[in-house]
Amino acid sequence: MLSVSPVFFYLFAGLAIACSLLVVFKKNPVSSAFSLVLVFFAFAGIYALLDAHLIAAIQILVYAGAVMVLFVFVIMLLNADAPSLDIARTSAALKVAILAGCLAMLAFFVVAFKRMSPPAPLGPYTAEAVEAAGGNTRVISQLMFSEYVLPFELTSVLLLAAIVAVVAIAMRNAKKPGSAGKEA
Amino acid sequence: MENLVTIRPELLGLATVELEALSPHFAVLGGAVLALVLSVVRWLQPKWSVFLVSVATALLGATLSFPGLSGAALAVFNGMMVVDPYSSFFNLIFLLSALITLLISFRYLDSEKLQHPEYYVLVLFSALGMMLMASARELVVLFIALETMSLSVYSLVSFRRADRRANEAAMKYFILGGAASAIMLYGVALVYGATGTTHIQAILERLASRGAGESVLFSVGAWLIVAGFLFKVASVPFHMWMPDVYEGAPVPITGFMTTGLKAAAFAAFVRVFLSLGYGKGLSEAVETNLHHILWVCAVMTMVVGNVIALTQTNLKRILAYSSIAHTGYLMVGLIAAPRGTEGYSSLLVYLAAYAAMNLGAFIVLTLLAGKGDAGLNLHDLSGISKKNPVLAFSMAVFLFSMAGVPPTAGFVAKYLLFYSAVQAGEVPLVIIAVLCSAISVYYYLRVLVYMYMRDPIAGATSARVPVWSVMALASMVIVTLQVGLLPSPLVEMARKAVAGL
Repeated sequence: MLSVSPVFFYLFAGLAIACSLLVVFKKNPVSSAFSLVLVFFAFAGIYALLDAHLIAAIQILVYAGAVMVLFVFVIMLLNADAPSLDIARTSAALKVAILAGCLAMLAFFVVAFKRMSPPAPLGPYTAEAVEAAGGNTRVISQLMFSEYVLPFELTSVLLLAAIVAVVAIAMRNAKKPGSAGKEA
Repeated sequence: MENLVTIRPELLGLATVELEALSPHFAVLGGAVLALVLSVVRWLQPKWSVFLVSVATALLGATLSFPGLSGAALAVFNGMMVVDPYSSFFNLIFLLSALITLLISFRYLDSEKLQHPEYYVLVLFSALGMMLMASARELVVLFIALETMSLSVYSLVSFRRADRRANEAAMKYFILGGAASAIMLYGVALVYGATGTTHIQAILERLASRGAGESVLFSVGAWLIVAGFLFKVASVPFHMWMPDVYEGAPVPITGFMTTGLKAAAFAAFVRVFLSLGYGKGLSEAVETNLHHILWVCAVMTMVVGNVIALTQTNLKRILAYSSIAHTGYLMVGLIAAPRGTEGYSSLLVYLAAYAAMNLGAFIVLTLLAGKGDAGLNLHDLSGISKKNPVLAFSMAVFLFSMAGVPPTAGFVAKYLLFYSAVQAGEVPLVIIAVLCSAISVYYYLRVLVYMYMRDPIAGATSARVPVWSVMALASMVIVTLQVGLLPSPLVEMARKAVAGL
């Protein structure tokens, strides 16, 4: 398996980068959204290569499935077809600045990670230990409900706050501003 | 190889003592949920019931936080959270600023014709996020807490939906805040990769024992986390969002952001900063390079904040830039803290004093604000002292305090902060800070000149001041002067709070 993975890695990585660029440069938001789906699939492939099958499955189910469906719904409901950042109409100086910024960041990460030896796993969750305890999926689900129960529960608080926040923003659209305050 | 223990039922229960320690958090969460339920019970007048429940929740939470000030540190949930004097100190700042914000919001929401219940619920949720940030000892919990706070505040900023500036501000804040959160999360992932843990204490231990601090992975991760925090505290060069957001948000929320949000960001910043090994000499990337980066950021923050504030004519924007400048002073304290004898306590005193005087100033602003937050230009303040001597006097106290004139809280806080920085050998930094705060006197006093030495503009009527606001205002004036005259109780509290860090 290790002998094939470099080829597949470059395949998936290339696909991810190419599609990410399409997300940014496509003028039609729907095509951008569908390019993003491909990016998520490519990521799922990379996760699967890393033996993280659960994350790969979640990536496809949650991101490519649920999140993207919402994106497409929103785009269609808002009928957002006007390109917000038209790359052809931006000034030359801005183009150069964007390009320079991207290259600088790329150079920074290349230099930073070239100098780095691959990190040895320091925590208790080494590949062998996880394998012995019954595999990734079992370990993750058990940890989520014992050791990491606090972040798990707090996530539901976060989601509740997010729902209230979204409803508070959306509700005022339904009524005339002002009438809501008196009724409530 | 030892077997992994993944099922640990003992982590799922909470002992009585742990429940007691967590009571402020449970109170605020319970209060927020109760308020949410009440907001759909029509026959109970949600406007009033939710307001009263929220106010009671904030009061209850603050009361329950008091015992924690002198208690011992107690780690809960497998060390992911800790309840110690440090977190209790911050809980008090958060809940009291939430309380004041709630008290002054009622009339504001009425006059702006905004809906009430969700506003109060969101204030409580953001306060809960802040409390969790100050208690978090694990980076994942910290991140979730940060997002709970931020999401609520994004929505609060956009509350004046009909106003174009409010929409622009909320959009800007949301997108930039989201990007900053992503950067911070990436940093957390890299630090996890370098050290194999997200527990703040364990990161420090692994840095010390295995030399992980020298790895490039760790340095990049640490810098990205710090960059995320610099955005949250609005330090230059990550300050661009702040003036617009402060101007677009409802006035009481602007006050809440300058006090609660800033204190929460600094509370978490200090904990993470310690975990990255700053001041421990473990990693050169953090010890020297990060020190220099923060040094430059602190100087730029102070200079940019103060100089741009000179040119502003809108009170909200003046206070926004002054808030950036105060972030700069706080960063001076942050840089110097590990090497001074006072440690982080001067930072805590400064945050508490700043919260009092800034909340006070925003109470006055809320009372002066006209429809659509108009009437907050310097010109509109002309001759306020003749029509409304109480408001003018209180504003004068708060402005003197921000400028750092004795006998106010601002003077004591600045003195302690700069003194500890001098002790730490940061003399050039302190000289710049003092010069910058001399600049700041100009724009604070300019407001006073308008209030006291100009003739009132014709046509303006003096606003009716509700009793809630008078109480809030009076308490802030008292706190500001009291800390200025007798600072030792607060300083003692802060010393106790940082003792266990």
